[in-house]
Amino acid sequence: MLARSCLRSTRAFASARNGAVRVSKRAASSSSSGSTADSPLRLNIAAVASTAVAAGSIAWYLHLYGPNAHAMTPAEEGLHPTKYPWVHQQWFKTFDHQALRRGFQVYREVCASCHSLSRVPYRALVGTVLAADEAKALAEENEYDDEPNDQGEIEKRPGKLADYLPAPYPNDEAARFANNGALPPDLSLMVKARHGGCDYIFSLLTGYPEEAPAGASVGEGLYFNPYFPGTGIAMARVLYDGLVDYEDETPATTSQMAKDVVEFLNWAAEPEMDDRKRMGMKVLVMTSVLFALSVWVKRYKWAYLKSRKIVYDPPKAAKNVRE
Amino acid sequence: MGFWDTITDLVEAATPWATADAEAPAAESKDMEETRNMRTPQARRIPADWEGDKTTVESSKEDEGEPEAEEEEEEDEEELSDPKEKLEAECTESKQCAPVKHHFDECVERVTGAGSDNKEDCVEEFFHLAHCASACAAPKLWSQLK
Repeated sequence: MLARSCLRSTRAFASARNGAVRVSKRAASSSSSGSTADSPLRLNIAAVASTAVAAGSIAWYLHLYGPNAHAMTPAEEGLHPTKYPWVHQQWFKTFDHQALRRGFQVYREVCASCHSLSRVPYRALVGTVLAADEAKALAEENEYDDEPNDQGEIEKRPGKLADYLPAPYPNDEAARFANNGALPPDLSLMVKARHGGCDYIFSLLTGYPEEAPAGASVGEGLYFNPYFPGTGIAMARVLYDGLVDYEDETPATTSQMAKDVVEFLNWAAEPEMDDRKRMGMKVLVMTSVLFALSVWVKRYKWAYLKSRKIVYDPPKAAKNVRE
Repeated sequence: MGFWDTITDLVEAATPWATADAEAPAAESKDMEETRNMRTPQARRIPADWEGDKTTVESSKEDEGEPEAEEEEEEDEEELSDPKEKLEAECTESKQCAPVKHHFDECVERVTGAGSDNKEDCVEEFFHLAHCASACAAPKLWSQLK
């Protein structure tokens, strides 16, 4: 009973819907035919009004959300570094290992007095920056904890290739204490850790102006550097012309040293880059070979389809077929 | 070091496609000398002789090398100037950066003229100027650096 009544009611609904549609259709057709006859003005008004609503909603949206609210002043943001045409960042270029060698020299003689490079072991330097004997000699200059001896005491031993580069300070607190409260960050991943990467570090190292611009306030113990967020940096300018003597007799200008040390830091952050690019090249080569192969195989497989000839040979006469 | 090691060493030394080892330069030169000596067995029998030769050669090289290096260093210290500073100074004066330079100069004048009760600073103007100068100098700088 219930089901039947439901069916009936749905039928009634359907008929009502159909009727409504039919009615509306009729109304629309009749009104359109009528309006073209009597009031093009009303249509124009509708078009103008809808356009005005559209434009108005856009304007309202822009009024509400349009202007960006900058939470920081440009000085707090810091000057964005200029893009430099680094050769090693190109797709098919590797690190310049002579530059890496120079950069490591700059790191060792200048940066290492405050900044650690804790994720780089001496063995990583072998073959990329130093020769094995040079790296061994460097490692042996430092002392590391040995394994416990028979009495369980830990003695010191000279470093070996498996050891990591020594840090200038035993911990962060000591580093802060020695540097007027500022912590010199570890440089192992610094190129990856800062916006702008290589460009930022190069600009920071070379961007100290001779004097801060008029009216700029520089905190006590800080130095003005436009590229550092907040413009007050606790690190004074360290690179000056002729600070290191390069063994390959490259003129050690400030920008040359900065460029070399930045390339070295990029190597420290991604030592796999050269291999990665070679692997990418291999992938491209293999993919192109496989693609070419697949094209030839496709031609081979489709040959009989492409070269076939479909001929309609009509029967000569109906009689012949029957016989 | 067995018998076959010696044989393979000899073969490796004789092949033209010998591999490059990551050894210190001094050790390499010694290796090369050894291989050279291997090819001429007469020299190998009298090692004292060529060691003596080598030391004399090295000492003579040092004698020649040191004063030259010192002279070059002195020259470098006199001549060394940062190309970045020079290029950026040129770029600051160039036509390209004239508008931002004008703004910066105007700001500096205004701020220095205002005296003690000024709250303005020229950091933003300096940013625009520095950005223009470094962007203009970047490609030129990279062509000069090694």
